[in-house]
Amino acid sequence: MVAADVPQSIPTGVPEAAATAGLNSLKAVGIGVPLLYSLTFFAAPLVFLVVLGFWLVEDFQVVPALSLDNYLDIAEHMFAKSNYALAIAQSLWVALTTAFFAVLVCYPMVLAIVYVAPRSRHRLLLMLAVAPFWSSYVLRLFSWQILLANKGIVNSGLAWAGFENLQFKLLYTQIATRIGLIHYLAPILIVVLYVTVANIDRHLIQAARDLGATRWQAFRRVILPMSRTGLLVSTSFAAIVSFGDVLSGALLGGGAGASVLGSVPLFSNMIMSEYASSTNLPRTAALAMILVLVMVLMLAGGAALAERTKVDAG
Amino acid sequence: MTGRKGKGSTASSTPSGSKATRRRFLGAAAAGGVSAWSGLTIFSRSAHAAGRMRVLCWPGYEEKPVIEEFEQKNDCKVEFKTYIGGEQMLQFYAQSPKGTFDAIISDAEYVQKLTAQKAIDPLKASDFPNLADYHPKYRDFPPLRAPDNKIWAVPTRFSFYGLSYNTKYMSEEEAKTWNSLFLPKYKGKVALFDWYLPNMSNASLAVKPNNQTPYDISDADLAKVKEWLFKLRPQIGVFSEQNQGLVNALINEDAWVTPTGDMEITLIGAGHKNFASTVPDEGSIRWSEAAAVAADSKNKELALKWVEYMSGARVQSELVYTKGFKARAPNMKVTEFWNEEQTKLMSYVPDPKHPGQMLVETLIDKSVPRGLPVKQPDKAWIAIYNEFKTSKG
Repeated sequence: MVAADVPQSIPTGVPEAAATAGLNSLKAVGIGVPLLYSLTFFAAPLVFLVVLGFWLVEDFQVVPALSLDNYLDIAEHMFAKSNYALAIAQSLWVALTTAFFAVLVCYPMVLAIVYVAPRSRHRLLLMLAVAPFWSSYVLRLFSWQILLANKGIVNSGLAWAGFENLQFKLLYTQIATRIGLIHYLAPILIVVLYVTVANIDRHLIQAARDLGATRWQAFRRVILPMSRTGLLVSTSFAAIVSFGDVLSGALLGGGAGASVLGSVPLFSNMIMSEYASSTNLPRTAALAMILVLVMVLMLAGGAALAERTKVDAG
Repeated sequence: MTGRKGKGSTASSTPSGSKATRRRFLGAAAAGGVSAWSGLTIFSRSAHAAGRMRVLCWPGYEEKPVIEEFEQKNDCKVEFKTYIGGEQMLQFYAQSPKGTFDAIISDAEYVQKLTAQKAIDPLKASDFPNLADYHPKYRDFPPLRAPDNKIWAVPTRFSFYGLSYNTKYMSEEEAKTWNSLFLPKYKGKVALFDWYLPNMSNASLAVKPNNQTPYDISDADLAKVKEWLFKLRPQIGVFSEQNQGLVNALINEDAWVTPTGDMEITLIGAGHKNFASTVPDEGSIRWSEAAAVAADSKNKELALKWVEYMSGARVQSELVYTKGFKARAPNMKVTEFWNEEQTKLMSYVPDPKHPGQMLVETLIDKSVPRGLPVKQPDKAWIAIYNEFKTSKG
């Protein structure tokens, strides 16, 4: 028996070792490729941006240095003169409200796809929802200009329908900025939310209904709590993207569109405008680092909330 | 009058003095990265073959109707690297290997910065017979004067930062003064080209009419400029970094007036007849471009021929009518190449109020060449402009 066992163990042992080695190689590739990608396209540019913020411009050339001049100068202009703080506040306000409304628009659409439409139509409906993403963002913004302008399609349509006195001032306000951003974000948010909502165990909903819950109660007590992580991830994603966006604020917001905070430019637009005026890349990098820092804080806040939700749900 | 940038140096653009080699090397490496970011064309050395030249310029010079004749006549190929803004031009020049460019188009006020870097050669005015056809103010243009009766560059095109307005809402009378912008009906209806220099300089002229040196002002006058701008803030509905944004705002009547100028050329050309532009009585800023030969050019003969070519009436008649910009030509014989409609649109018609001169000449008389802040660092002007933008409108 023993003698018979030995030759058996040899051939089975070798493929196991080979399989383990193969699996390890696969793991290494699986981890290595995304790591390399992140290092190349995220970490390295970010490090360059950080380093660039400490450099200076001399004789129209970027000169390596380890100077805090850019940051000190920005700090001096934070609450006075250039008032960057006000622009940051405007950006935060627009970004957070955009995120709120974007999720408010997208979540019911996802619920409708998952729970109302037949399962066989999900893929088609998702494709239709994502379709705007295949067109150029700039092109979409210019299209919105045509729609929202003073003499645009919306106001002209109202006038044509006999509502000459019902004219809206939309273009060059932060409302228009938000519209452009929501249009940009919606396809992404729909996909993120679809993944969350489609994965909710339908047995739980059925159980709630069997126990006498109304549709509203089943939504409020089962679907909504189980969507919370997806909702928070979507909201923080939308807020971060909106905070850093330049185009919608420039083309639809008119550079300094009005909001409840007044006609104040977005921080991203101020960065662009300053770079265009001074072409001082190190100072622009320092300003961009502040933008990145606020984004990281927003991301951390979103992640912390999502984590807390998970714990609460657990 | 087209919104365009030719920026002042930043406060950080201070003389560097002697620098360690390593710093320079790192700087050059960084510059390479920066240049790549900025879209700097990387030229191959072989492109320096005879019959080729490279020009650093504003958009428009590379358009076929402008350059085709020169390339055919001289059996050569001209490569262009376009920039937006004088500051960017200086950076592209400083960050490129020596000899990369054979000729440079510079805003007049940046010529002094190029000469400080010994980037361009002085030229003999007598080498440019077309100058005889130039408007007198451009035949001998002070910002371009070089020692020994030479010139640093030859003017190629110019225009104004006056008022462009919708005639449905603004009368010719109102357009005569910058202060009309404060009228209550213009609240939220003024569109600004988003750049501190022309806006603050025009404000400087508004508070100190017909000042020939609106950039060379005291701190007290700068405070008045700031006050004027802040008063204007509630009237501003749009800040746009692109001309197209301003044109759209005017067409859609989201804005009725813009202190950018020259918009009416584009608008009327597109069939919108209800637009006009003018230089207010207090004066406005005028931008000017000029062609220079790069000091380290390896093809100076061809570069010189190109500068001479750019001074001609035929090429200027095309240059001021490009997709990139609508502008005016310093060579007054351009009208020979335009039809009646173009001549009228470009204001090269008799001025009824000033017999014996053309409307464009009146506009030249009323405007002041653009310059850079003199008594304050431009950083101080930018800070005021930012404060103006973030002040609640």
